[in-house]
Amino acid sequence: MTTLTYIGKPARRVDALEKVLGTAKYIADRKLPGMLHARCLRSDVPHARILRLDATPALAVPGVRAVITSDDFFEHGLYGFPVKDKYMLAHQKVRYVGEAIAAVAADTPEAALAGVRAIICELEPLPGVFDMAHALDPDAPQVGPDRPDGKHPNFLDHLIVRKGDPLPVWEQCPVKLEEHYSVSPQEHAYIEPEGVLAVPTREGGVVVYAPNQSPFINQANLAMVLDLPPQRVRVIQPPVGGSFGGKDDIIYESSAQAAKLALITGRPVRMLFSREESLIASYKRDPMRMHIWLGADSDGTLRACKFEGLMDSGAYASESPFTAWRASIHAMGAYRYDACHVDITCVYTNNGYYGAFRGFGNTEVCAAIEQAIDEMAYKLGMDPIDFRLKNCLRLGDETVHGQVLTESVSLAECLTTVRRLSDWDRKRAEYAKQHAPSGVRRGIGVAALYHGTSLGAEGQDYAGATIAIEQDNSVDITSGLTDYGTGSRTVFTLIAAEELGVRPERIHMQRPDTDTAIESGPTVASRSTMLGGNAMRIAAMNLRQTLDYAAADLLGCELHQLVRAGEAYVGPSEEPVPWEEVVRHAREMGLALSAQGRWSAPRINWDHHAGRGTPYIAYHFGAQVAEVEVDMGTGRVRVVGLWAAHDPGKVIFPQGAYGQLYGGIAQGLGYALMEQVTFVEGYIQETNFESYLIPTSVDVPEIVGTFVEAPYSHGPYGAKNIAEPAMVPTAPAILNAIYHATGRRIRDLPANLERVLLGKDLSKGGSPRACKLGLGTA
Amino acid sequence: MLIEFTLNHRPVAVEAPPDITLLTLLRDYLNLTGAKEGCSVGECGACAVIMDGRLVNSCLLLAPQVAGSEIITIEGIRGPDGGPNDLQENFIAYGAVQCGICIPGMIMAGEALLMHNPRPTRDEIRAALAGNLCRCTGYQQIVDAIEATAVQRELLP
Repeated sequence: MTTLTYIGKPARRVDALEKVLGTAKYIADRKLPGMLHARCLRSDVPHARILRLDATPALAVPGVRAVITSDDFFEHGLYGFPVKDKYMLAHQKVRYVGEAIAAVAADTPEAALAGVRAIICELEPLPGVFDMAHALDPDAPQVGPDRPDGKHPNFLDHLIVRKGDPLPVWEQCPVKLEEHYSVSPQEHAYIEPEGVLAVPTREGGVVVYAPNQSPFINQANLAMVLDLPPQRVRVIQPPVGGSFGGKDDIIYESSAQAAKLALITGRPVRMLFSREESLIASYKRDPMRMHIWLGADSDGTLRACKFEGLMDSGAYASESPFTAWRASIHAMGAYRYDACHVDITCVYTNNGYYGAFRGFGNTEVCAAIEQAIDEMAYKLGMDPIDFRLKNCLRLGDETVHGQVLTESVSLAECLTTVRRLSDWDRKRAEYAKQHAPSGVRRGIGVAALYHGTSLGAEGQDYAGATIAIEQDNSVDITSGLTDYGTGSRTVFTLIAAEELGVRPERIHMQRPDTDTAIESGPTVASRSTMLGGNAMRIAAMNLRQTLDYAAADLLGCELHQLVRAGEAYVGPSEEPVPWEEVVRHAREMGLALSAQGRWSAPRINWDHHAGRGTPYIAYHFGAQVAEVEVDMGTGRVRVVGLWAAHDPGKVIFPQGAYGQLYGGIAQGLGYALMEQVTFVEGYIQETNFESYLIPTSVDVPEIVGTFVEAPYSHGPYGAKNIAEPAMVPTAPAILNAIYHATGRRIRDLPANLERVLLGKDLSKGGSPRACKLGLGTA
Repeated sequence: MLIEFTLNHRPVAVEAPPDITLLTLLRDYLNLTGAKEGCSVGECGACAVIMDGRLVNSCLLLAPQVAGSEIITIEGIRGPDGGPNDLQENFIAYGAVQCGICIPGMIMAGEALLMHNPRPTRDEIRAALAGNLCRCTGYQQIVDAIEATAVQRELLP
């Protein structure tokens, strides 16, 4: 194995300097002369027919320059993938509180609001579906689109995994568990609210600055609904103030609205969301209700798992069919079973809408299955880590899906690592001796996970990259995958530096731009390092080969005689030749000093009807231990310690990888204890950070994180993934620790004060008022 | 109305309506966009600046309230060469920056703390950051960066 110079070594994030100086220009920091301000009229009822929509009165408001409705888009702006069920502005019906109906562009934000208020919009309220458990009732109001196949219109998808028949096995097991679990919706709570800036071009096209995750998808949507050729639509990603899965569909809509207004007025148009608008209108993590049966032999061997999950997609499909698929694949946890059935059903309701969020289905099911596994350990009288070690997937095992794991399997090592780091055995024994019914009690809990890398059988998995040496001998690189805070631009820079043999400071990683980068599929599923990293590695290797020819020509030697000393080339004469000299010679030779790299993941197949196949090419494994203090008088839970061992294959950018780990754990802590989205008759009750609480610096403990590196042969330098899996096991580890401390199982997330203290929520009621205030309609 | 105050060590006089916030004054009237608008209700701290030596949320102050006071924003935090100062440099070195939207506020919170408590414990650093939300980092590397800066400043002659 060759020694690595830049990979895995301390490095500076390429965009950190402008961010610490405060000079980075986020979308709200960008403005142009003559720029207009846009704002949407949004529905303040959860389900209604649009009886009358007359936008023209808005145009009489001083300062208003344009107003649009769905009639202004091609085919009313219908879009969506994998299900085309949403409009860029509501058409005929509204299905959730906050859905955009019309958009106004005006000289000032105040004039835009006055314009919105002048629009005549008559809504006929319809009965809604507010409980996912009743979405498929025969008499449930229709929320989803008409279906030609005779199925209930509120039915969205049903995903299965099948191995044998678990219920007969379960019946015969001496140790059985059957329990129900649920998880709340979760808000991404990126600190930068949504925004977009659209600039019309002279040839009738538009340039859109959009803090989205996937600019090429935005471009394709824009070309479709604006009825423009794709080459007239350019999407550029400015610095993004956090996303976590949350800045896809909602930004595509804002992009389409601002772009259309820019095309009509011939002026730049910027749309910025308030925090309230963000919380009310944007999609969230889906809530789920789960029913789990587990069966084991008395020696602790897991035999059977049956998992039934109901997932709320809200008013639109967004990514939910894919979320439900990933949930189904991971629902049983990283364990061996003789028999396993998973059924995930996904339905439409009028509770906002749900889409992608870090972990993407696995965060939801892991919160349930890792509690159920813990409960089984107690039933068996086994230590929770011993029980997991006895049953966890190991090298050479076949998963319940029928996939044999042939490399990069490290769960047992992750479990033993957190056991050691957390001083597990001593604390388990010590805390078990606590008897005080009141006061503060301590507990310690564990959870494990696996998480399929990249898209898997969800879709075509490919990425592209470019690299070029500029006239000043700097190196420009691009990727079709974007960096919304993740650090992937730094990962790509380090990979290009490593392969080309130049210092990272020489490299300029360009911002994502559909005009300059190669389309690479969506930036989701923690796929940037593996997919984009491989593409960048190939691009740099191709350019390196060109320079090697130039160096051999310059030094009068064979390619194999070349060695590198830092950036310099050295031939048989042992006199180093500076890299710049080699580049100059390559130019003289007429060689192309640019290259592309493209990489596709190995083909895999999943049979949706059989519920079997190879869902992902490889898996991330990890384990976390949480230690809590529970105040038995108030129900307050404080997480006092957190230990994490994760296997990302190979760490490329250490500060970035640790940042992903710590940040993921903080989001998982919020999911476990405080992050609650409450819909009451379709109205979200949490409309700003005073009611939607996310962890602060005093809520998150000092985290001890470590990486177990089990290289994956198809990953760049062995790298797999880290971003999503970091948060997945945190919530169940905390809930298991609460049980250890208190003897109370909180099977419904989040474990707020009432649930910890009383075992149930106190009824708080709710009202539409916060939504109406936030939307400006009160 | 004319609002006069000291901004990043220089006197300024700016004509602005009396009913705008300090954040709007900074961003829209003085073109200083380092302070960010994250919630507008004083919960997230992305708009934090230092006013007469105290950390304040600029979204909660009316512009006229700063008349006669001394305001320092992220644009006023620089090293002697105009580049990053030691705290900003440590934010980079310790990997404390991800999406970056909270970072100007975090750096202001760190500087405000170190003004009054030159050698804070990690718990004291965490307490000082409790009004600044970060969704990316889990705070740990931010605490690392502030702690390291405190140690380095103490060793300075």
